[in-house]
Amino acid sequence: MHHLKKGFLLLVLMMVFMGLIAGCSSSDAGTKEKDGKVTLRMVESITSPARTKLLKEMLKKFEDENPTIKVELISPPLKSADEKISQMLMAKEDIDVLEVREQTVKNFSNNKFIEDLSPYTSKWENWNTLTETIKHGATAIDNKPYYIPYGVYEKTLFYRKDWFEAAGLAAPKTWDDLVAAAIKLTDPSKNRYGYSFRGGAGSPDYIEFMTWSYLGKQIAQKDAYFTQDGKVMFETPEAGKVLDTFVKLYKEASPPDSISWSYPEMVQGFTSGMTAMLIQDPEVIVTAEENMEKGTWATAPLPKGTPSGVAQQPAGTAGWGIGAFSKHKEEAWKLVSFLSSPEQNLFFAKNNSLIPIHLSAGDDPYFKEGYFSSYIEMNAKPEEFLIADRPVEYKGYAEYRSLAEKDIQALLLGKESKEDVLSKWTDFWKKEKENKK
Amino acid sequence: MGRQINWRLLFKVIFLSLFLVFTVFPLYWIFITSLKPGKDMFTFPIHYWPETITFDNYINIFKISSFNIYIVNSLILSIVAGFFSLIIALLSGYVLARFEFKGKTQVIFAFFITQMIPIFIGLAPLYLLMSKLQLLNKLPSLMLMYTVMMIPFCTVIMKGFFERIPSSLEEAAMIDGCSRITALFKVIIPVMLPGIAATFIFAFVQCWNELFLAIMFIDKEEAKTIPVAMNSFITKFDIDWGAMSAATVLSVIPTLILFAFAQKYIVEGMTQGSVKG
Amino acid sequence: MKTQTETVAERGLPSFLISKHGLFIFLCLLPALLLVTVFIYYPLFKGVIMAFQNYSLFDLTNINFIGLENFKTVMAESGFKESLINSFYWVFFSLIPQFVIGFIVALLLRRKFRGRGIYQAFIFFPWAMSGFLIGLIWRWMLNGQSGVINDLLLKLHLIDSAIPFLSDPNWAMVSVIVANVWYGITFFAIMILAALQSIPDELFEAAKIDGANYVQQLFKITIPYIMPTLIVTTLLRVIWILNFPDLIYSLTNGGPAGSTHILSTFMLEKIIFGQNYGQAAAVGVIMIFLLLFFSIFYVLATKFNKAGDF
Repeated sequence: MHHLKKGFLLLVLMMVFMGLIAGCSSSDAGTKEKDGKVTLRMVESITSPARTKLLKEMLKKFEDENPTIKVELISPPLKSADEKISQMLMAKEDIDVLEVREQTVKNFSNNKFIEDLSPYTSKWENWNTLTETIKHGATAIDNKPYYIPYGVYEKTLFYRKDWFEAAGLAAPKTWDDLVAAAIKLTDPSKNRYGYSFRGGAGSPDYIEFMTWSYLGKQIAQKDAYFTQDGKVMFETPEAGKVLDTFVKLYKEASPPDSISWSYPEMVQGFTSGMTAMLIQDPEVIVTAEENMEKGTWATAPLPKGTPSGVAQQPAGTAGWGIGAFSKHKEEAWKLVSFLSSPEQNLFFAKNNSLIPIHLSAGDDPYFKEGYFSSYIEMNAKPEEFLIADRPVEYKGYAEYRSLAEKDIQALLLGKESKEDVLSKWTDFWKKEKENKK
Repeated sequence: MGRQINWRLLFKVIFLSLFLVFTVFPLYWIFITSLKPGKDMFTFPIHYWPETITFDNYINIFKISSFNIYIVNSLILSIVAGFFSLIIALLSGYVLARFEFKGKTQVIFAFFITQMIPIFIGLAPLYLLMSKLQLLNKLPSLMLMYTVMMIPFCTVIMKGFFERIPSSLEEAAMIDGCSRITALFKVIIPVMLPGIAATFIFAFVQCWNELFLAIMFIDKEEAKTIPVAMNSFITKFDIDWGAMSAATVLSVIPTLILFAFAQKYIVEGMTQGSVKG
Repeated sequence: MKTQTETVAERGLPSFLISKHGLFIFLCLLPALLLVTVFIYYPLFKGVIMAFQNYSLFDLTNINFIGLENFKTVMAESGFKESLINSFYWVFFSLIPQFVIGFIVALLLRRKFRGRGIYQAFIFFPWAMSGFLIGLIWRWMLNGQSGVINDLLLKLHLIDSAIPFLSDPNWAMVSVIVANVWYGITFFAIMILAALQSIPDELFEAAKIDGANYVQQLFKITIPYIMPTLIVTTLLRVIWILNFPDLIYSLTNGGPAGSTHILSTFMLEKIIFGQNYGQAAAVGVIMIFLLLFFSIFYVLATKFNKAGDF
């Protein structure tokens, strides 16, 4: 008899436990329509507490305008966000709106995770007021609009105006100017360095746009890691010059620790008064405005390569796309078009310090004057400041970036030579090209 | 004789003091950082005591995030998961300690292997599984995951505790008419209370700090935990050290309190399980 | 299994009891086994399958079995070899100081003294933090230009110029290990302290009467008595330390130039940057095998059959 009792007790215990889990799971399953209301699930990727707050504000407006739609915003921490989004899509979850980035769009479209938005954009009144850069970014893959960008990430030069003036220097126009100025402004005894170097995560981006700048128009239009005569960009003499400049900049004008710096440390170095120059995205403007005295810093166009005489960089975009497993695509598009409307986008771009997506924003004094003026200047001279596309359609691009990151550090440490590194990258891209055929 | 003892005492005092400094300094430094206003955080030279003390960082984390909710979530989560893993491990540990049966070695081995599994190898399949079971995005499913995560370790620890308690104890109770389960709960568990407390604390701390599963399985704001919130202070272009340090201090407080009250039990508890443990 | 059979024999449980308790045993083990099987072993099994597939996020529409291709690719990478070697350094040099300092602390805390409770509460606290946070905090403190540790060392005149803790490959390895030691001493200290307190005082008294000095007592009584704890704790720590990417991930992210990558961070990178789940799983499988072989070897070498219990 005892057994029965015992067994019973155990079963009850287990059932309570399982029941707790199951019970809670059935309570609020999915995005079922309740009293005619549709709940949209939206995931963001480049998260920060401030941006999440901003988005929520905009979503509130959207909900007020569309009383039948509710939006649930999912904001995973930045470092694991894309990984999580992929995971959700792999599980075929019904995400309605998601943040798609230049780096993820190819994966997502390959795997049919996101919708081709052309049926919607063809009827969208605001499509034609988008800037060329944005249209180009939106349709970069398969010539289809997979997402509507919310802004452009283009790099510009930030520099300490006060230090430059005190040293009698002008804002650098070329990389050679930049290195010279950086060395002049470096004084380790005062904990002061010329340049906020990036040696850590993301460093291959810098090699990328420097090489593009040095090579200028030699770069193949549609295949930017190769030159027009079919060479890998790393087998050109210009690539060697880029690495020399890069190493010199690190060794003679940058904090030793910057070998492991990535975006946050670079910005911190600049805003805390350790470094004199920084090349970064427009987002830094807000942070710098918050942390630095007015008049101590300014922005300038990206330095140019020699002998090309041009600067060339990718116009990174990120934006809103619609999940392929969404059950409410019409409503999702409503949200995407709301967020991408000139009014909302201007609000988002201003508060998030990004370059807006609509032509009309060019007239806004915030972007015309002040710190964004360097972008306006670059845009006004498309012959000197070129835009190239990252090779995201290559399978190995992500792998290259992680390999190159290590190689760059090895190069800076003197563990690998310039020639080794370049031939390694050349081989890598030759193989990529073959595999793609 | 007396002199010899003094040398030993001197060594003891010096060693323990140095060790204390080594251990506590990082906490001190984070505490100090959390009291510094944003602008002083990077100033040179470094100040070992903030020139101006401010609680802005603490106020700020409640402003930029729903930190109060996260604290409650983490507390509930860790307590519940700790409790369930304890109960389940109590049963399995008891059986593994008291009975001989076919497959016992294999069972123990299976628990042991779990410790070697890198969490990321199974993360993608686990996500798919949880998605199929409709268990995503719920605090209770995280409780379930944490419970599972802690079961193997707790089981083996519990097994060690049971082995040190003579089985005559519950046999006597059973002769008095108790069922085995009643004997277990009425007679044995009170004896091993310190051990149970220690195991619970281990489980609690592990759950309190877990990050990756929490990020993967929880989407909504109302179910986020402290580690996830802290991770979101790292943004693309900034690490908010002020918020990070303040949150660190706040997140350590509950465990410190727990340790302060229970440190006696931790050691005592582990003492019970030590040899077999 | 020797002790086990002895205790069962001592209890004199008749063999029929064993079968009689079959249901009870089954029910008691069921929750643990069920949950572990479903939520740990099933995903593991699926994960191991991925190690033999071209499972990459770039294109999931065309997943095939590719045999040992992932293993070959991964093992041919220079980063893999480096991580493998680093893993040995990481485990060994984290473990030894953790063990030694933890042991000494435990010895010194064995006897009660005033304030011991508070002292214990304080030194337990590293254990209360997550690896990710520890990595961040140490990164904050070890900063070469404005970090507090360099500042302290300079002020104490122990060094003349700032040490490039995180930018020099050798120092970077030292840095992550120091942080890990800081974190891990507590576990050893607790486990060993607990074991020490289980030694009956009579043993020491008997030894004192025999005229044994402290060192003799240590090696003749203390260490042999707590040997099982030392062996089990050490094995557990080896496994845990190797499977602990959190700290390195947030302290150096494997850099500079891969000099602080260990297998588990190498694997993490395969997922996060390479998005190649297949190759990541292959690294994971290799890790499990390494640990299995190590455990078997360790158990045989220590002739400690009870270690099989954990």
